[in-house]
Amino acid sequence: MLIGIDVGGTTTDAVLVEAGQVKKTAYVPTDHQNLLNCLLEALDQIIAGVQPSRIERVVLSTTLITNMIAEGKTDPVALMLIPGPGTNPQDYHLGDDTIIVKGAIDYRGREIQKLDEAGAEKAAADISARGFSKVAIVGKFGQRNHAHELKAGEIVSAAIPNAQIELGHRVSGQLNFPRRAATTMLTAATKEKYREFADHITRAFEQRRISCPIYILKADGGTLPLQTSLEMPVETIFSGPAASTMGVMALTPPDQTSVVVDIGGTTTDLALILSGKPLLSSKGARVDSLLTHVRAFAVRSLAIGGDSAITVSGNCLAVGPQRLGAALCMGGPTATPTDAMRVLGLSGIGDLGRARKAMEDLGRQLGLTPTEAAQMVVDAVVDKIVSEIRQMFLEWEEEPAYRIWEIMQRGEIEAQNVAGVGGGAPPLVPLIAQRMGARPIVPDYAPVANAVGAAVARPTLTLSLRIDTERGEYIIAEEGVTGKVGDRKMNLEEAEKMARRLLAERAERLGIGEYAGEAEVTYSEVFNMVRGWSTVGRLLSVRMEIPAGLLTGWERC
Amino acid sequence: MAGSKGKKGKTGLIFFPAFDWAISPTHPEREERLLYTRDQIFEEGLMDLPQIEEFKPRLAELKDIARVHFCVPDVEAQVTEAHLIAAGSTLTLADALESGQIRNGFALVRPPGHHSMTVAHGNRGFCNVNNMAILVEYLRTKYGHKKIAVIDTDVHHGDGTQEIFWHDPDVLCISFHQDGHTLYPGSGFVNEMGGPRALARTLNVPLPPGTTDEGIHYVLDNLILPILDEFKPDLVLNSAGQDNHYTDPLANMRFSANGYARLNEKLSPDLCVLEGGYAIETALPYVNTGIIQAMAGLDYSHVREPDFEPGRFVQSETMKREIESTVAQVQSLWDKRDDLVDVALSELGDFYRRRKRIFYDTDMINENQEEAVRLCPNCPGYTTISSQGQRGYGTLNNVYCISIPRHACSDCKTDAMEEYKEHIEDRKYSYVYLQDKDRDKYLIYNVRTRNQKSY
Repeated sequence: MLIGIDVGGTTTDAVLVEAGQVKKTAYVPTDHQNLLNCLLEALDQIIAGVQPSRIERVVLSTTLITNMIAEGKTDPVALMLIPGPGTNPQDYHLGDDTIIVKGAIDYRGREIQKLDEAGAEKAAADISARGFSKVAIVGKFGQRNHAHELKAGEIVSAAIPNAQIELGHRVSGQLNFPRRAATTMLTAATKEKYREFADHITRAFEQRRISCPIYILKADGGTLPLQTSLEMPVETIFSGPAASTMGVMALTPPDQTSVVVDIGGTTTDLALILSGKPLLSSKGARVDSLLTHVRAFAVRSLAIGGDSAITVSGNCLAVGPQRLGAALCMGGPTATPTDAMRVLGLSGIGDLGRARKAMEDLGRQLGLTPTEAAQMVVDAVVDKIVSEIRQMFLEWEEEPAYRIWEIMQRGEIEAQNVAGVGGGAPPLVPLIAQRMGARPIVPDYAPVANAVGAAVARPTLTLSLRIDTERGEYIIAEEGVTGKVGDRKMNLEEAEKMARRLLAERAERLGIGEYAGEAEVTYSEVFNMVRGWSTVGRLLSVRMEIPAGLLTGWERC
Repeated sequence: MAGSKGKKGKTGLIFFPAFDWAISPTHPEREERLLYTRDQIFEEGLMDLPQIEEFKPRLAELKDIARVHFCVPDVEAQVTEAHLIAAGSTLTLADALESGQIRNGFALVRPPGHHSMTVAHGNRGFCNVNNMAILVEYLRTKYGHKKIAVIDTDVHHGDGTQEIFWHDPDVLCISFHQDGHTLYPGSGFVNEMGGPRALARTLNVPLPPGTTDEGIHYVLDNLILPILDEFKPDLVLNSAGQDNHYTDPLANMRFSANGYARLNEKLSPDLCVLEGGYAIETALPYVNTGIIQAMAGLDYSHVREPDFEPGRFVQSETMKREIESTVAQVQSLWDKRDDLVDVALSELGDFYRRRKRIFYDTDMINENQEEAVRLCPNCPGYTTISSQGQRGYGTLNNVYCISIPRHACSDCKTDAMEEYKEHIEDRKYSYVYLQDKDRDKYLIYNVRTRNQKSY
């Protein structure tokens, strides 16, 4: 038995899955003041009458970190940057608690300026005097050589006993120093509170005698053992849209290209599944005002939903972005798309008389019959969603590319399916699909697709290996590990083999070893280094990933 | 004020390192060239800054190439996909600039182009087609710009761009570079200053080897910027080579990353197009970071090469005087430009003719040309070029090219068409070309097969 629980913005949904089938569902209103309670309430509903020993796995998707950041409840963090030459760090706007220390590493991981240890000591004393207990230390090209970060860490650790120190290179192996700094800072700012939350969860599960592994869902649609996630709490932000997308993947035919449309009361979220693979945003997620390295699905949110307020000015009609309350037909204060859909017979929700009244009023202002007005509302909603979907495809096509083949190969793509989840999906998805020339799919378990997604998502994992054969070194950024390479002429195939082995070891350490076989190379490059007129070595980079996917054994509906 | 100074908006950036294209595995123009630049600008997070917007490159159309070049035998034979993407990148930025989406832009692309001339038999100076010239002609054809200034800041003389706009008084070409006595392509002396109708609209500033930030900024402040103020171009474009850098392996200047950034801040070009620059580790990551920052109005004072200290290079008095004297000479040519044209035209008849020999160092081709420009009283006049490409003792191709300028008068159009009809019957030539910029139509006639092709 598998359990998936998604703590969403308005409701907390839970499902129980057995033998590839959804066996039970539960809904609890989300209480933002006490996420833990509503999570456990949903859990208790779903496990009522179930033998705890029969539960094989529980996956949680929570808005904990998202809320913590949005509400400004994160812990204060001092940021120590070792930027070296380049951009003025002030242009990154990383906050007032930033301290600059001298020292520089270059693009190949060579030290070009020694770390100013005296400067670091002074900075550490300053940080200590200002009362910080959490420090993020990030150096430019620290992922290529972490010596300065390690040394600065030691210095801070000596100056502030029991300080919680986060080093940039452990957070991401990717290029982009300001994003690494932001991500490291957020990690430091959320780790302690996240740990408290995880401890509560662990205890609550123990009390219920549930001893199976507990996983947490990440923004990239992958799961991670709760204990392992303590090291990388920021990865759990935005797991909600990831859960819905994974749910749609679980509930639609494999290997197809689908648009995922999650139509709620206030907003509609869009995501893409290209040939069976959820599209990740090419760069990391934006968290509040900070750009991070957190891998997340490319999700687009628009302020339109079933309860969006309809306004008229002149003979123009606008839907949203405000939501003033429920639809008129549901006893709310204003005309909404839900009323229009009721009048057109697209849905059976709410009081028809009130809905008609809403459309009559609207029609009078526009000089239309109630039916015509309702049609106009629905058309406006569909127009807006369809144009946003087109924009999303266009953006994907317009992603920068750095190789000839990428530019030659990337053509236009078309959606085969429009898959809808959320309350507004059943009436609107067929209309959207018709406009897109695609097949509409509203899965049976659409209302709990998010919880299903959490229940059946498998782990994901990334490993970045970089080899510089002229310097005879390799480095795995995320692990903070370096080593020697003897072969100057190492080829890409050998590097990929090495990355596969290292990823398997990392997966084992993180408790997800059984999924290492699913790893694939998502990026690799090799460059001959030519100095004078001869080749002196090679630079090889391999990114190996266990991509988002579904547990084996899950039968698609 | 010309250029992007004072304009609001973002800086457009296209980074196309062509990581899968090289002239040959160990050639300076190889896959690795922009690798460390990528690492640096990606690590700096420049693309994320609100001042900068990154664009995806597109392929230029064959017609965009034919608008500038007579490619022998045809455009397809001279360009690879990489060339079309590099040229197309500049056009994507041109569109973004014209639509107001960006304030200025930098096409950080390879392969480069500024040594490619009007007729293209092969690759010369690492270039097959001239990205900058393709950009200029696109801007004029699509957006109707009249006056454009091209400032070539590569260490090598921008001889291709100079040759393409030689007779055009509306395109001001200024190139400063290490002098032709000591560096490829061996040209770019003060006396090279344009065709009879466009005298002193081509200006060359040869500089002594070892010229520093001080020398180059002297040229900029005392010559280039004042001339731009007088010329008042619609657009200022920078052929942004990076090989004036003190670590460049193919040249001998002493320019720094900070010097390059400051140059772009002062020049404030509307668009920059990368040309050469082969110190791939010691210069390019820093120079490119500095140029991007300067164009985006960001602080570039933190960009510094690891081994650079301000004051590291000091210019000698002799060198200073030499540069001042060159600047004074060029200035005086510019000042009397209208007189120079009047005198030249008074001595010429209906046509201006010249012979040229062009050497393609990369492809080892020798080209002999005979060019004729009609000095038409009513329009810019049509041009013909008879060109013979030779490799070793064998003739590659003998071609005849006719170019009709924008706003050509009906006499010139009729005569140019007559030339075309006449030469396609001439078995001496293997291909005959008609470049009709007025109608934006481009024809290639294969004399042997009697097939005509158009772009």
